[in-house]
Amino acid sequence: MERVRAGGQQAMTAVFDRYAGLVYSVAFRVLKDAGHAEDVTQEIFFQLWRNPASFSFSKGSLGAWLLVVARNRAIDHLRQRRPAEPIDEVVVVSATNLQSEAECSILMKRVRGILGDLPQEQQQSLQLAFFDGLSHSEIAERTGQPLGTVKTRIRSALSSLRKRLEP
Amino acid sequence: MNDAQHISPDDLALHALQALSPQESAAVREHVSGCGVCRAELASLHGDLAMVALGVEQQPLPAGARERFAQRLESDARAGAVEGKRSEPMSIERTSKPRLATWAGWLAAAAALIVAAALGFEVNSLRARLQESDNKIAAFQASESQAKQVAEVLTAPSAQKVVLTASKTPPAPTGRVVYLASRGGLILQANNLASIPAGKTYELWVIPADGSAPIPAGLFKPDAAGNGSLVLPSIPQGVKAKAFGVTLEDAAGSKTPTAPILLAGAAPQSGE
Repeated sequence: MERVRAGGQQAMTAVFDRYAGLVYSVAFRVLKDAGHAEDVTQEIFFQLWRNPASFSFSKGSLGAWLLVVARNRAIDHLRQRRPAEPIDEVVVVSATNLQSEAECSILMKRVRGILGDLPQEQQQSLQLAFFDGLSHSEIAERTGQPLGTVKTRIRSALSSLRKRLEP
Repeated sequence: MNDAQHISPDDLALHALQALSPQESAAVREHVSGCGVCRAELASLHGDLAMVALGVEQQPLPAGARERFAQRLESDARAGAVEGKRSEPMSIERTSKPRLATWAGWLAAAAALIVAAALGFEVNSLRARLQESDNKIAAFQASESQAKQVAEVLTAPSAQKVVLTASKTPPAPTGRVVYLASRGGLILQANNLASIPAGKTYELWVIPADGSAPIPAGLFKPDAAGNGSLVLPSIPQGVKAKAFGVTLEDAAGSKTPTAPILLAGAAPQSGE
């Protein structure tokens, strides 16, 4: 990122090469459309190029940060709204290092296993919030569950994931 | 929403997901801006969400996506250069029949252009010097940060110090690993290594204590005296190590170790 800040096109292309697949996959999962997912992906990396200061290492690892930004931008796109949060306000604390592809691949498998092990109702609430971009009241309406139950299920799902990923 | 002093964990999670109403989100944002505890938890929740995102099925990028991005960068870089030119004084086309009465105006404009040109040159020169200074500062900060990390790994009381040895081959190749799991910091110093064939490299592995797959921790080649080292290779933080090993791999490195393990050492229990 230092080289990107210094205006290095090659450095920016290298960042794209490493992380564009991850960003695109998240955008595609949300938008279910290759063209829109690529638009979101290109826009995120282009914004990073135009304003490299939007990410600093005090905001976490670049890979984890890009994943959160990708999801948020894809949801904005899905809801056809202006970005709900500027990207430079997103701070991500994560002990993971997604720079190494081998590491990343091992971690992906672990995460999928953990998410698959969650109780069905937690998986459903998390999916509706994370990938479909529904608000808590929309999820309550969709599932017929009280608002408090929806909130608890989402938080429990994230807590379980964090706990099981802890070293 | 607030439990006494802080935002409830349920609401903070919903805020991280942007699943609260705009009014609720605004209230959370206002609280978080002044509350370090909630800010830290929100950042951790974003970390959890990054992991949820990581779990999605991976899709190949559409054909040509990389080229389209590279072209966009190129156009932007060129546009930036053109913009720079726009900031320079514009030339003025001559009229075919200039009138005497307008000469004074033209002279004033010409004088203004000369001043603007001089200022434009000065601005560009200052901008270039500023960029050069920024680059030097960035390089210095990176170097300082690296040196600080090396010192921290070497001096941390909880750092694991492991000697790696091979069996009965005088002079015996040895490797010494200093590893600080919490920072993902690792330094290897190896000696008396056998020279390696062309197209091959040594690769260091961290063997995690939880039984998961060995983690590649960097490639290195010995010098003429058989010495090799690795300083702060890119490895994940927080991996408790059971052991370390060195193998011989193809020059590009490998994702899994290839037998035999040439150097190995178990990590002491006392480390992180």
